[in-house]
Order: sequence, then C-alpha cells, then structure tokens
Amino acid sequence: MSSSDAHALSPAHEADRQRHLAHHFDTMDTQEYAVRLAMWLFLGTEVLLFAGLFLGYTVYRHFYHETFHEASRTLSIVLGTTNTIVLITSSLTVALAYWAVKTGKNGLGAFLLVVTILCACGFLVIKGFEYHHKFEEGMLPGQFYHYAEITGPGANLYFTIYFLTTGLHAFHVIVGMSVLIWVLARLLKGHFSPGYYYPVELGALYWHLVDLVWIFLFPLLYLI
Amino acid sequence: MSQSSDAEAAPVYPAVNYLNADRGVWSWLSTLDHKRIALMYLVSVLFFFLIGGIFAMAIRLELLTPGPTIMSANTYNRMFTLHGVVMIFMFMIPAIPGVFGNFCLPLMLGAKDVAFPRLNLLSLYLYWTGSLLAVTAMAMGGLDTGWTFYAPYSTTTPTTVFPALLGVFILGFSSILTGLNFIVTIHTMRAPGLGWMRLQLFVWGIYATSIIQVLATPVIGLTVMLVGIERIGGFGLFDPTKGGDPVLFQHMFWFYSHPAVYIMVLPSMAVVSDAIAAFSRKNIFGYKMIAYSSLGIAFVGFFAWGHHMFVSGQSPFDNGAFAAISMLVGVFTAIKVFNWVGTLYRGAIAVTAPFVYICGFLFFIVFGGMTGIAVATVSLDVHWHDTYFVVAHFHFIMVGAVIMGFLIALHYWFPKMFGKKYNEGWGMVAASFIVLGFIATFIPQFLAGNAGMPRRYYMYPERFEALNVASTAGASLLAIGFVIVLIYLIYALVRGPIAGDNPWDSGGIEWMTTSPPPKENFHETPIIDRDPHSYQKRGEEVEHVVI
Amino acid sequence: MAQDAHPSPAAKDAPHAGGHGIGRYIAVWAILLVLTITTVATGRQDLGWVNLPLALTIACIKATLVVLFFMHMSESAGANRLVFVVSLVFVLVMIFGVFGDLWTRAPMTLPSGSPSTLGPEL
Repeated sequence: MSSSDAHALSPAHEADRQRHLAHHFDTMDTQEYAVRLAMWLFLGTEVLLFAGLFLGYTVYRHFYHETFHEASRTLSIVLGTTNTIVLITSSLTVALAYWAVKTGKNGLGAFLLVVTILCACGFLVIKGFEYHHKFEEGMLPGQFYHYAEITGPGANLYFTIYFLTTGLHAFHVIVGMSVLIWVLARLLKGHFSPGYYYPVELGALYWHLVDLVWIFLFPLLYLI
Repeated sequence: MSQSSDAEAAPVYPAVNYLNADRGVWSWLSTLDHKRIALMYLVSVLFFFLIGGIFAMAIRLELLTPGPTIMSANTYNRMFTLHGVVMIFMFMIPAIPGVFGNFCLPLMLGAKDVAFPRLNLLSLYLYWTGSLLAVTAMAMGGLDTGWTFYAPYSTTTPTTVFPALLGVFILGFSSILTGLNFIVTIHTMRAPGLGWMRLQLFVWGIYATSIIQVLATPVIGLTVMLVGIERIGGFGLFDPTKGGDPVLFQHMFWFYSHPAVYIMVLPSMAVVSDAIAAFSRKNIFGYKMIAYSSLGIAFVGFFAWGHHMFVSGQSPFDNGAFAAISMLVGVFTAIKVFNWVGTLYRGAIAVTAPFVYICGFLFFIVFGGMTGIAVATVSLDVHWHDTYFVVAHFHFIMVGAVIMGFLIALHYWFPKMFGKKYNEGWGMVAASFIVLGFIATFIPQFLAGNAGMPRRYYMYPERFEALNVASTAGASLLAIGFVIVLIYLIYALVRGPIAGDNPWDSGGIEWMTTSPPPKENFHETPIIDRDPHSYQKRGEEVEHVVI
Repeated sequence: MAQDAHPSPAAKDAPHAGGHGIGRYIAVWAILLVLTITTVATGRQDLGWVNLPLALTIACIKATLVVLFFMHMSESAGANRLVFVVSLVFVLVMIFGVFGDLWTRAPMTLPSGSPSTLGPEL
C-alpha cells in the first residue's frame, strides 16, 4: 500500500519503506501512524512533567511577587534572548533537516542536523556561563542562597525554581541532542530515504518540545 | 478452527503453544511475546502482593491490643508505610493492566501482539528495577513517611526514603510506557471489522486506564523527584522555613494519586464488565453507557484531587468545588452498577467461583462508592479525615473492588492462559473465605473510624479494642482464602483437567483461539462481524464463528 | 493478510512529501524572531498588570506556530492533536485548581511574608 500523499514514492523508495515493516503490523501506513501517535503521547507526558514545575513557579510567584520580580532582573536578558534565538533557529534547522531527508536530500539533511546539534551545544554553553555567574554571586537554591542584594522573603525560592526548571530543561536539551546525534549517525550510514524517514521526524518532534518549553520559560523567568 | 465446546468433543490441549514454543530462561527474559510478559508480571505482582500482605498482617497483629503488641512504634510506622507503597505501586497499579491487559488485549483485538513489543518488555524490566529499589529501601531499614510522602516530614526524616522515591519514579515510567503501548495498540491494531463500538468492554476499560496512566504519572514522577532533591540538596521547595508551602506538595501529589485510584479500579471494572456478560450468558446491558462511563471516570477523575486535602489548609472555596466534582464521578460508577445489574437480570447465571467474586464486587463497590460520596462531603470529612473510616472506605474499593476484579480475571482467564481448569469446589470455598473475611475485616474499621479511632496510630484507646480484634480476625480469614486460591491454582496448573478452547462458552474474541493460545495468537487474523459479548438465547442454536 | 476493512486513519496522517517547500518554515521562523523581539522589548518595561498576560499571550502564539508548522500538527491525524490538546487542558486544570486554593485561602494559612490573598477574607 503506497503512502497517500500526492507525490507517490518511486518503486525503489517504496521497497525501502516496506523493508521496515514489523511483523506484527499489517501495513506501513499503520506502523507509521502508530509510531507518530506514540511520540505525541510521549510528548504529552513531557508536557505534564514540566507542568509541575510551572505550577511551582506560578504558586511562588504569587506568594512572593516583589522578590520574584527583583530576582528576575538579575538574569542577563542578553544571554537569555540569545539562547531563545538559538533554540528557535535550531527548531528551524531541524524542521528543515526533516524536510530534506523526506525529499531525498540526505547531505543537506545531515548538514542541518549538525547545525541543530551545534545550536544545542551553544545553548548549553551559554547556560553554563549563566550558572557560573550565579554560583559566584551566591544566587543559589534553598539553603545555599547567600546573595546579599536581595533579601526579601522567597528569594531563595526564586533561584530554586530557576535551577530546577532550567536544569530539567537543560537535561532535556542533552537528551534531545543525543537523540539527534544518533539520528545523524544513522543518516550518515544511509539508513534513511524518502521511503523511510520517520526516526528523523520523531527526533525533530522531541527537539521541538525542548524549544516549546523554553518559549514559556524564557518570558516567565527573564522578563516579567 | 476453534468452536465452543460441546458434549461430544473432548477438550483439546494444543501440543505447541506460547508456553513451550521457545525454551530456556533466556527465551523468557528476552521475549517479545505479550503473553509471556503477562505471565512474568503475574508472578511478580503475586510476589509483591504477598509482601504487602505480610506487612498488612503485621499491622493487624500489632493492633490486636491497645498498647504495644509485637513491635515498637517506629517499626509500626514503617509497616504501614511499606504496606501502602508495596500494595499500591507494586501490585494495584500494575496488576490488572500488566497481567490481563498484556495477555488479553491483543487477543481481544485480533492482533498478533501489542504495538511496541520491545517497549512492553522494557516496561517489565522497569517494573522489576523500580520494585528492586523499593525492596532495597526496605532492606536498609525502611521508611516511615506513609505512602503519601507528605512534606516536610518526608524531606527531613532520617529513614531510608530516597531509594523508595527513586523506585516509585522508575515504576512510574513502567506505568507510562504500558499505557502508551496500550493506547497505540487499541488505536491501530484492531482486526478487520472491529470498530470501536464492537470492542469488548475490557478493552474500553483498559483504554481509559491507559489515558490516565500516560497523563497523570509524569506529575508523581516530578513530585517524588522534587522530594528527593530537597532531601539531598536542602532546596526548600516545600519547606516552610525557607518560604515553601507544604500544601503545594499535597496538591502535586494528589493530582496524580487521585487519578491513580482510577488506574486501579477501572481495569477491575473492565474485567467485571466482560465476566458478568459471560457468566450471565447474556448480552451486556447498556454497552455504550459502560464504555463512555469509563472515559467519563478517567476524565472527571482528574478534577477531584483536592478532596484528599479538606483539612490541610486548602481554602473552603476549593474544598467545596472539589467536593462537588468528586460526587460527579460517583455518577459514572452508578451508571456502571446499574448496567451490570441489568445484565444479570434474567440472565442464565452460571454460579461459579468468579461469579461469587462478582457478587462480592458489586456489593463492595456500591458500599465503598457510597462511603466515598460520604467522605467527599466536606462537613462529614472533617470528622472522618485520618480516621479508620477513610481507611475502610478505600479498602472497600482497593480490596473489595480491585482485588475481587483481579481474582475474577485470574479465574476467568486461567483456562485461557494455561489450558487447565481449576477445582470449582475449592474455588467456592476460597471465595467464601475471601468475601466473608473481607466483610469481617473492614466493616469494624468503619465503625471504629466513625467512633474516632485515628489511622496510622500505633496505640489506641481501649474502647476500640473489640473492633480491632474483630478486624484482625477477619484479616486472618482473608489470608486463609488467598492461600487456598494459591494452592488450588498451582495444583490446577500441574494436575488440572484440560480446559479446551472455551470452557465458559464465552463470547469474547480471546476465546476464539486455542487455550493456551499459539505464540502468534491466531492461526489466521479473525474477521469480526458481530457485536461484542453477543450471546444467543438458550434453546436457539449456538452460532459458531469459524475463523 | 486480510485487507483493512475500515479506512485507515494512517492515510490522513502522513505529511505530504515535498508538498510544500521550505518557504513556510523560514516564514514561521521569521515571525518567531519578531515575536521574541516584541516580548523582550515589552517584558522589561513596567506595564503594570499587563506584563504577565502579554508575555503569556506572545508565548502562546509562538508555541502555536511551532506546534502547527514545525511539528506539522496542521497536517497530523486527529488522535495526535487530541492527545496534545488534552495534556494542555490538564496542565491548565492543575494550575487553576491550585490557584483556586491560593486566591481564596485565609491570610493566616499563607506562607510567612507573603501578601494577603486577593480573594475575600474568609
């Protein structure tokens, strides 16, 4: 059964596609649908994972409005905005990489994946600078907090939330990066074609989620 | 190829089936066959049920006298904590989906396996890993926070909390992956002709359960992670001295743990829906209502978590809102009970051990559910909160509904899984012990709780002694009943008579293949052209569906 | 193997191979950058109570663009969309359920040092 899009696959690509049919699925259409649904379900779980931390932020922001406002001013808006632009661009490059592999341009796809991975590294490096600055100033979570400039109630909580949310996010950046490296390795080995590319698609979806979380984290932590 | 058994043909035990298709321990540990994974879950959950049961007996023995009986106060705290942790995370949540969901779901869809067999095996390994960590916590002295891990005690107690938190986190992953797998399986692997409205009700129940597993479990994962981080790093998210809010922990904890009770009860209701149709030899009454009410419970169950927090400092406004929503969930359960009873009405009832459990189930879920509505009333819960009334309420559901459901499933599908029949006489004996023992255990607890006996208390005023003794006596009957079940089931495995393909003459699709099934489930993909649970009236010719 | 007797939802699910070019992605990226600049510019200004809803609105628009176009949800099967939307709904339920508590708690029950509740004195 060929895929349903307007541009049908060439026989070679269709054969490549059928090669990947697992024995317990009836057709590749079903298998691809199942794999995509599974990925969206998994993304749903990730959304709910971060939700708890967003809840914590919301609650403590409500309780300690003044201190949170003050503390957010200590974050570097330059670094934060740069990171946001880096992540959004990496989202673009990974989406383009997916498009490239889907249309048979494996070389371009590989290049775009490399750019995405480099963007991820860049994000982590900038984050590293920010964390380092915080360690130096004493803007640390909980019992380690000793930043003299802000002493209002809830100050240590701001940085607890900051480190927990950005820390969990950075962990997901690392995981996403690893997934993309694995996808890149398979792409370089020639595993993918216009007939079979959904691992690239799934890796890209995960990366977009990482970007989505940051789209919300950035204004909440850095701006308002 | 498979026909309902009639008087002339002797039941057949297929020489080659999933149990002996591949040999060797490694063939089991590396299997991708959902049926083998189900059996490994079965052995594991039964083991942890035994452990949890031992902790329960320890509690009941200690409570035989008002003062210290067999252990110190600190040990007692560990006993009720571990009883809760083991029972909930290692038995109640994984049991019916892990065992019967895994075994029956692909069969009921006419599929060869679940959507992601390797993910299924990973779920099992994660279950073992998480459980091992919890056992490690026990071996290192145990924890005493209660299974609810309330902060700030859980973040500061010197007992071994962290391995248990990590264990719960990993068990959560196992749960999520199982739910994810089942949802995709149900969406994508139905046999030709099997539309949604032709699915057996067990499938609908598992589907609703899986939705909750996928959406709610990440929240508990995060919550226990935060407690662990606070223990190690002193981060103070829930610590009042650092400006934190302990009630926030409760909000986050119960946001998962309330839907979690529906993860436990929905599969049990799903089993009952299937079994009640089979044992009344009648089409299910109100198929759509039962199917949709499962989804209703799954959805509305997410909105009700605050009813665990009525006296925690939560605002009266939220208290009232959560109370009203909690009562709404009761409506869906009531719909189900009505439809189940409607199925029984004028059915040709086969009084078997599973049927005794069904009767127990119906009684207990009505009683337990009604007391649930009672404790959902804020003004009443102020009196009952943290007393044995609540303990009795949730045990009526957890044991009275969920474990009855598990036993129904175990007996109903025992012939399918193993191709053997168990001894009905002993089955009835055990069922009587269990149902009567259950009543004797938990009704006194309602009375004690209403009279004011607090839960999780090591010592109690003398006026509660009689009720506690009665409860412990009942618990002993329960234990005897479970032991009897274990004995005759093992005996049936080894020496039981051959069951044949469909000893219950049930209309489910899983009965349309051999017992035990072959490794690939069906020799040919079945084509489904009839409604689920369809039974012919007695006297008419029984329709054979040939595949 | 038996044919699929019911129409496979998978047929609607596969994004069109090369059905649209890269222009769409670049356009979305440009809009996202513009929105980022906007939120940075307005975020650090003191607009009173407007700051929070404005920042959240811009974030939601950005997120919607990423989900619809980068993640191809505009072409995706209904089940996938339902999954994502439902998880978002439950996030909102969690946040507003807890907020119902915070807003209406009696001042004595709030953590020390925090302002009294916006809701009625109870």
